[in-house]
Amino acid sequence: MKNMNVKAFLMLLPSLSVFGAFMFWPLARTFYISFFEWNMVSPVKKFVGLGNYAALLGSPLVHRVLGNTAAYALILLAVNFVVPYVLAFVLSQVVKRGRALYKGAFFLPSVISLVVGSMIYTWILNPISGPVAIAAQRLGLSAPIWSKTEGAVIVVLSLVTSWKIFGYNFIVILGGVSGVSSEVIEAARVDNVPLWRIFTDIVLPMSSATGVYLFVMTVVQGMQFLFTPIRVLTMGGPNYASSNLVYHSYHEMFVVYRTGTGSALAVITLLGFAFLLFLEFRFVEGRVYYES
Amino acid sequence: MSRRAAIGILWHAVLIALLLAMFYPIAFALSNSFKSISDAYSSVMELIPSRPTLENYSRVFSRLDVWRITANTLFIALVASVFKVLTSILAAYAFTEFSFPGRGVLYFVMISTIFIPFNVTMLPNYLSITSLGLNDTLVGVALPQLCDATGIFLIRQSMRTIPRSILEAARMENRSSLGMLTDIVVPLTRPAILSSAIIFFINSWNEYVWPVLMLKSKENFTLSLALQMYISSEGGTEFTVAMAVSVLAMLVPFGLYVMFQKFIVSTFTSSGVKG
Amino acid sequence: MNKAMGKLAAVLFLLVVLSAGEAAESKRTVVEYWHPNAEAQGGLVVAELVADFNSRSKTTEVRERFIPDMYKGVMQNLQAEAAAGKAPAIVQIGWAFLDYFSNNFIYTNPQTVIDKYFPEDATFIADNFLPNITALSTGGNGDLLGLPYSLSSPVLYLNRDMLRAAGLPENGPDTWESLREFASIIKERTGKYGLYVQEPADSWAQQAIVESAGGKFITFENGRARASFASDEGIRAFGVYADMVLKDKSALHITWDEGVQSFIDGNVGMLYTTIARRASIQKGAKFDVGAVGSPAWQGHTKKLPAGGCFLAITARSDEEKKSAWEFMRFLYSVESVAAWTKGTGYVPPREGVADAPNGLKSFLAENRMMEAATTQMPYVARWASFPGDAGLQAEQALLDMRDVILGGSESARDAMTRTQDEINQLLQ
Repeated sequence: MKNMNVKAFLMLLPSLSVFGAFMFWPLARTFYISFFEWNMVSPVKKFVGLGNYAALLGSPLVHRVLGNTAAYALILLAVNFVVPYVLAFVLSQVVKRGRALYKGAFFLPSVISLVVGSMIYTWILNPISGPVAIAAQRLGLSAPIWSKTEGAVIVVLSLVTSWKIFGYNFIVILGGVSGVSSEVIEAARVDNVPLWRIFTDIVLPMSSATGVYLFVMTVVQGMQFLFTPIRVLTMGGPNYASSNLVYHSYHEMFVVYRTGTGSALAVITLLGFAFLLFLEFRFVEGRVYYES
Repeated sequence: MSRRAAIGILWHAVLIALLLAMFYPIAFALSNSFKSISDAYSSVMELIPSRPTLENYSRVFSRLDVWRITANTLFIALVASVFKVLTSILAAYAFTEFSFPGRGVLYFVMISTIFIPFNVTMLPNYLSITSLGLNDTLVGVALPQLCDATGIFLIRQSMRTIPRSILEAARMENRSSLGMLTDIVVPLTRPAILSSAIIFFINSWNEYVWPVLMLKSKENFTLSLALQMYISSEGGTEFTVAMAVSVLAMLVPFGLYVMFQKFIVSTFTSSGVKG
Repeated sequence: MNKAMGKLAAVLFLLVVLSAGEAAESKRTVVEYWHPNAEAQGGLVVAELVADFNSRSKTTEVRERFIPDMYKGVMQNLQAEAAAGKAPAIVQIGWAFLDYFSNNFIYTNPQTVIDKYFPEDATFIADNFLPNITALSTGGNGDLLGLPYSLSSPVLYLNRDMLRAAGLPENGPDTWESLREFASIIKERTGKYGLYVQEPADSWAQQAIVESAGGKFITFENGRARASFASDEGIRAFGVYADMVLKDKSALHITWDEGVQSFIDGNVGMLYTTIARRASIQKGAKFDVGAVGSPAWQGHTKKLPAGGCFLAITARSDEEKKSAWEFMRFLYSVESVAAWTKGTGYVPPREGVADAPNGLKSFLAENRMMEAATTQMPYVARWASFPGDAGLQAEQALLDMRDVILGGSESARDAMTRTQDEINQLLQ
């Protein structure tokens, strides 16, 4: 038995040491820095206790960034969670032809670098002379100058980011939906249960573990993926209307060099993610343990 | 029947429209990489260049050491993906095969690293790598990427599907744990391992935020950083050249994906979480 | 699977060996030179100059480091490097970061290095730089922080075809008042936008607008800097600019790259941006493109902030400091400055280049658009740079102010007064 423990420990050692050195140790350092006022180079760090946190929670700017973050989360979830869920159901029940092709093709943009993607979108989405604006003009519509319009900027940046995550999510959820027992569905069909009822009453509950997993990952990954498009396309502007928590902490740390404030924001991001982690473990991993 | 067919066609139309929208940026990049800069400005809507030119590519190749940059990118991606897979296999196996005190907690702790956003670790990691003297080196870029909780998760999920009877039989033969891992478990989880490796490779290939912080010398640049040399400066963006670099940066992930598409898609479809 | 793994390992090993073999021995002092010059902005010239220098110098080998994300990127990397206890030998510092740089980093006055090691160069700086130019890189304490290297100023690019189509004189407006009319007429007669004023992550162009109306971004009282842009002149100038965007709808409020792109592809008639973009605009535009000097407001003299950067010596050891000056002296030779100007479109920082046959004589004769910038050099002044740790936050507050005013959510008067108070609070 002891021998077994040693073996397990040895096998875990490589991952534990990498995580320890490059995840948990830096985490502790960031946490530590968040109690100081520091500009990253000055030899003097001024201890301010919870001062950075208090200032952040009282700042209207941070409230704004939190609001943006929530808006991003909602849009990302709509595009990359709800839509793929429905499409996956359609592909598994309604149209079965071309399924492999759709699967393969939807995933393709996921393998492209986000810097490359953002770079391309800078030109495609130019509100005056990009192809989208020109096409809209030909249809008699006028595209808003989204990069300087509050609200619109969040929608557009979410769409750019969705380009990267949609395919991955689609494939994962398709796996969950196809895993639902076909006998149950057939039985319901024989009973003439309408398709949407089959979706809400059978497929959704039976694929809920995958669903929760994906729900959580969409937010966690999405918030980080958003960083690159925000940086390349708007730098958080206009007037912070497109900044999210991850970008804003970077902004504090590396643009105005309030390293302590930036670290405190990073810690707040982490707390938000920790809540999602809790959800995930409660609903997904818990079930996995239960099964074994 | 005809109503059903109509609905089917409608859904196909929706799916195809979505696909076209998703492929447009790729076509746009490809197309503009073959246009001269003034054509790119004056004929934005033209997807097939009326006067195609190779000038952007020839400029990239004459000004950049493309092979070196590609080799750098490859080196980092290979080191990262190979190590990530190896550490993940070992950890996943430890979690499946052994039951030891604190297993649940440890698994939780490891998986929770997925939830640590990069802005939390970026600055301290920069300081650590620099104090090791590895600033501006490829090894320095690769070092924090030697392990990945997603790999542990995916491979463990796949290991759990191995029928117990097979493992029991192997145990009866008195095989060592390591022997069981290499001879039985790894071959049976091959698709998950392979597709994790490819995804890790592609992610590392595309990585931007961390290398941009670490690498300064042009000799050490990766493809994503090379792209930076053509965008948003005081002198303007060399758009068509940037598109050519983008196309070059896309080639390898595309190729890999096309080659291993089946593995990747089926791993994410089947070894995801089952409800 | 095992076979594939073996192959991977072999490739890996080979790559490691290859990259290790690179480290060649060298006896010369090796120093780093940091710059943000992307390919479109002099990156090639930097490489050429460095190679040329390295082939001549017996004592020094320079390694150039391109830092992405312009001068802000340079500061970020300098900051991170300093946090790790290191520094390059020579760095390009953007004008907007002058005070932040001098307050937070270790640097050496080039004259100090000269006096100590290079007596033959004792009068090099005094001989070759005009006093108003060295004043640009002089800190608040009177200390020379470095030497001006890249100099740019804002000019007005014109789509002459569009001006003609709108029945306007093709030489463009010379005051902001007439510029406003020009823009309205273009909008009315062609349906295109009249003007785009650059909006990168700095307030350079906006400072030119305010100060050419008699406003002042910063005033010094008893050696203390105070923000003062919310004067009546400043508010009026910014107000007109905002009105063009919001009321006339003849000017665009959009990001920099988007705006320049829209000018080049013929959707905007006039573009107010740096002379450094001349080459890429000339190359991309398919219409008759011209450039004229920055306009002034009626009854006022124009006053334009210098763009670009100065070269600072950040080397720590004496050896490196010596090497740094040796390299700088090379960069400031007539030939090197000429090459730099041709490759970047900046205005030469030192005397004796523009008319010299081995300098820029023929180049300036062929590129008349450069005239717009070279002729307005007497009007060039310091780029507002707020001192102290709060400097970067002040700079950020200015960007936020621009977004708020041009976005229409606050009037120029309200936003400017509020921001001025905020900045002065920060500066205390």
